[in-house]
Amino acid sequence: MTIVVVMEQVPDVVEELVIAPSGTDLDRDAVSYVINEYDDHALEEALLLAEATGDEVVAVGIDTTGELDQALYTALAKGARRAIKVTGDFEGAWLSTRAAAQLLVPVIKELDPRLVLTGVQAPDDLDGQLAPTLSALLGWPHASVVISSEIADGVVRARKELWAGITMTLELELPAVLGVQAARQAPRYVPISRVRQVMREASIETREVEPVGDLAPSLMRLRFPAETSQAEMLTGNASEIADRLIELLRARGLL
Amino acid sequence: MLTTSERIAFVLIALASLLLTAHGVSRIVRAIARGQGRPTWGLFFRRVIPVSLDILLQRPIFRTRPLVSALHAGVFFAFVFYGLVNILDLAEGFTGFSTLHRGGIAALYNLIADLLSVAALVGMVGLLVRRFGLRPFRFNERVFLLPSVRFGISRDSAIVGGFILLHVGSRWVGQAVRIAESERADWSQPTASLVAALFHGWSEAALTTASHVTWWLALGLILAFLPYFPYSKHIHLFMAPLNLILREERPLGQLEPPTSSNGALGAERLEQLRWYQLLDGYACIMCNRCQDVCPAHGTGRALSPAALEINKRYYLNRNLGAFAGGATSPPLLEIATTKEAVWSCTTCAACVRICPVGNRPMLDLIDIRRALVNQGDPLDPNLQAALESLARYGNSFGKPARQRARWTKELPFPIKDARKEPVEYLWFVGDFASFDPRMQENTKIVAQLFHAAELDFGILYEDERNTGNDVRRVGEEGLFEMLVEQNLAALEKAQFRAIVTTDPHSYNALRNEYPAYGFQVPVYHYTELLADLLERGRLRVQQPLTAAVTYHDPCYLGRYNRITAAPRRILHALGLELREMPRHGENTYCCGAGGGRIWMDSGGQERPSEQRIREAVALGEDLRYFVVACPKDMAMYSDAVKTTGYEAQLTVIDVARLVAMAVGINGLERESISVTTEAP
Ligand code: SF4
Ligand code: SF4
Repeated sequence: MTIVVVMEQVPDVVEELVIAPSGTDLDRDAVSYVINEYDDHALEEALLLAEATGDEVVAVGIDTTGELDQALYTALAKGARRAIKVTGDFEGAWLSTRAAAQLLVPVIKELDPRLVLTGVQAPDDLDGQLAPTLSALLGWPHASVVISSEIADGVVRARKELWAGITMTLELELPAVLGVQAARQAPRYVPISRVRQVMREASIETREVEPVGDLAPSLMRLRFPAETSQAEMLTGNASEIADRLIELLRARGLL
Repeated sequence: MLTTSERIAFVLIALASLLLTAHGVSRIVRAIARGQGRPTWGLFFRRVIPVSLDILLQRPIFRTRPLVSALHAGVFFAFVFYGLVNILDLAEGFTGFSTLHRGGIAALYNLIADLLSVAALVGMVGLLVRRFGLRPFRFNERVFLLPSVRFGISRDSAIVGGFILLHVGSRWVGQAVRIAESERADWSQPTASLVAALFHGWSEAALTTASHVTWWLALGLILAFLPYFPYSKHIHLFMAPLNLILREERPLGQLEPPTSSNGALGAERLEQLRWYQLLDGYACIMCNRCQDVCPAHGTGRALSPAALEINKRYYLNRNLGAFAGGATSPPLLEIATTKEAVWSCTTCAACVRICPVGNRPMLDLIDIRRALVNQGDPLDPNLQAALESLARYGNSFGKPARQRARWTKELPFPIKDARKEPVEYLWFVGDFASFDPRMQENTKIVAQLFHAAELDFGILYEDERNTGNDVRRVGEEGLFEMLVEQNLAALEKAQFRAIVTTDPHSYNALRNEYPAYGFQVPVYHYTELLADLLERGRLRVQQPLTAAVTYHDPCYLGRYNRITAAPRRILHALGLELREMPRHGENTYCCGAGGGRIWMDSGGQERPSEQRIREAVALGEDLRYFVVACPKDMAMYSDAVKTTGYEAQLTVIDVARLVAMAVGINGLERESISVTTEAP
């Protein structure tokens, strides 16, 4: 059976980001892309599940950057059996989460998986909507902020993080969609020689789509967050610190 | 002379013994032949004479332990000479020919045999007393040993020692019996003649019996021992010279690419090791010299290079028939060593250099790492992060390549971009010197010194990548190759006469590893250039320095590449008083950073660098500077001097900074240069 992992490339924030002269986009020539960290965890979790059950992992992504191959080859080198990229005319667009989900659904349906995993969030999906949207469009149950999972007796048991260190284990009927916060173990290292071998021997399947409707939110202006003021360290003994705190809160009209 | 029945018995026993021995030897040869690759037999003819000379002079073993080596030499010389003695004794047994009471060459022969017998007996007793009385061979409790090894080492030593004692002793006493039979002392056999007095008054029949018994004990014993010989450590007699003679001609700093069997890289099992790594096991004499110098073992880690070799041999001996016949061995991590041990190797090569029989335990450890990395075995998280960063950004700091040359912005002059204009020296700066904020200060000083000396130099700016020296030693061959390709592409864009490096690890890779990829350019370490610039007056000492200092040789500079003089020439030129630590030059002690260890967690255990600081402190309270010539050392020892609490007494300093203090450089106040090791 099949487990689908949905992966996305995002700008590498280690590198300096530059805003394009248009003011509504990043300077794409200066951007380099990395796999969304949570998607990497989703892949690891999927591989761990598949190692236990003998399922086949298929990595799926929308190639909005023209560089998705690299990420998919890495997924293959790590143990995914197939990799599929959705291509189309996305040039210069930061796809909205909803548009992305709509593009992905036909591919997922075609693969007929019993489980879909993706990262719980991404820099362009900070509110974590991809997994829930997919689940709504597919009509399958869903859990997010998942930190470990297990397939047994025809269901998936997903442990999700709540708050204050509390976790909850859900049992979902298959097929289901999981938004992964962290895999059970750190994503594995894949030796470069294996990636290179995969690049020579394996191939990435393509699904050409004709995008319709609004793909991306329209941007008015892109800018770096304004420098916030410096933090002040409170020093002294407890009562001095307390006095200063009260003073600060008063000054802001909070007391 | 033997009786006829004795002669027939001897011949029959000899035949049986030789057959059994040949069987054992052939199994060992077939076992070794299961290793990867084949020896270059051409080496044999070229090396057999020089190596034999070395061995006759016992050079490899005299590198350490002078007293023990002298005892060994006594046994060894006797053993060699006993080859002749045994032949003549055999002739005597069968034909009655005797050298007794003859003059000339026979007397000389007798004299040598007599004296060497005593040397061998004394040497052997000494060695046995040492092994069983003093018990110097201990492994720390974390070292993995096969169950058969624990008991086996002592048993093997006892059998071999007992054999030599009995064999030589019987022959010696036998000579005494013959002297007693002849009823007069033989001046050419002084010690045996003394012993002969013991047999004074024995009947003729008793003496004849004694003569037969001692002959059988001396020569018959060989026949009894022979079949055991291939399985004993005594086989080092053949395997050690063979190992030394057939050793690949390859710089210590150059690794062979991993072996590949059915797509699996590296060595998971015995048969995936190279032939010479299997031979190593048989050449090993279990002397533990390698373990004594191993920084990992010395700081209580589970690694013992000796145990690795010994385990290999014992496993093979116990399973020889099956293995020689082609059976798959269990994983090396079940029979030879442990994962913890494998990852604690710093690739300092101390074991390789010290081993008297030419073994290279370090290579096994690297090959096991290669297998682990390629099987996707979980890595130390910090190591994994470093490798991922190296793959993505070309440095282990997780910094974008564009920031590599950021330190140059703080210099009062521009540094040439070697990709854009030709330079005489291309300065390969290295990761630590470029990115680590603590090291950047030194890097700037080196730049200023080069500038002050009007050296024509430039750098590769953001195109430089980590050379991959330690990546290769971690076992990530694919990443190493990728880094090599990237660096070669960058180097191709530049025009230069020679390379100068700050980092000994980069030095090693560029000098020893890159030639295998077609890169042949002279490579210098910055200490070599600085020494030269000082001696040729292009850097002038304005104010000599007066402190007492010690210098730490980096493994990849001092041991791997034998660059030990240049840094000392610098210290001398600056007027400093150099005090050597006991372990220096090629015998230097590792700081613990090599082989990727710098990226791994030390697990809170003592570090080799901390032991090293104590070694330096023992040189005197007035020792002011602990001088280093490697950015990684700077990092390791700046930490160690703090954790050991000697920060106030001893300052870790880069040799370039001392040069700057003595020559003075524009725009830098003396005080600002001499600010200890703290980064501003
Ligand atoms: S290379 Fe160094 S650390 Fe590794 S086994 Fe040999 S002596 Fe020990
Ligand atoms: S490997 Fe070499 S140094 Fe180590 S115990 Fe064996 S013979 Fe001695």
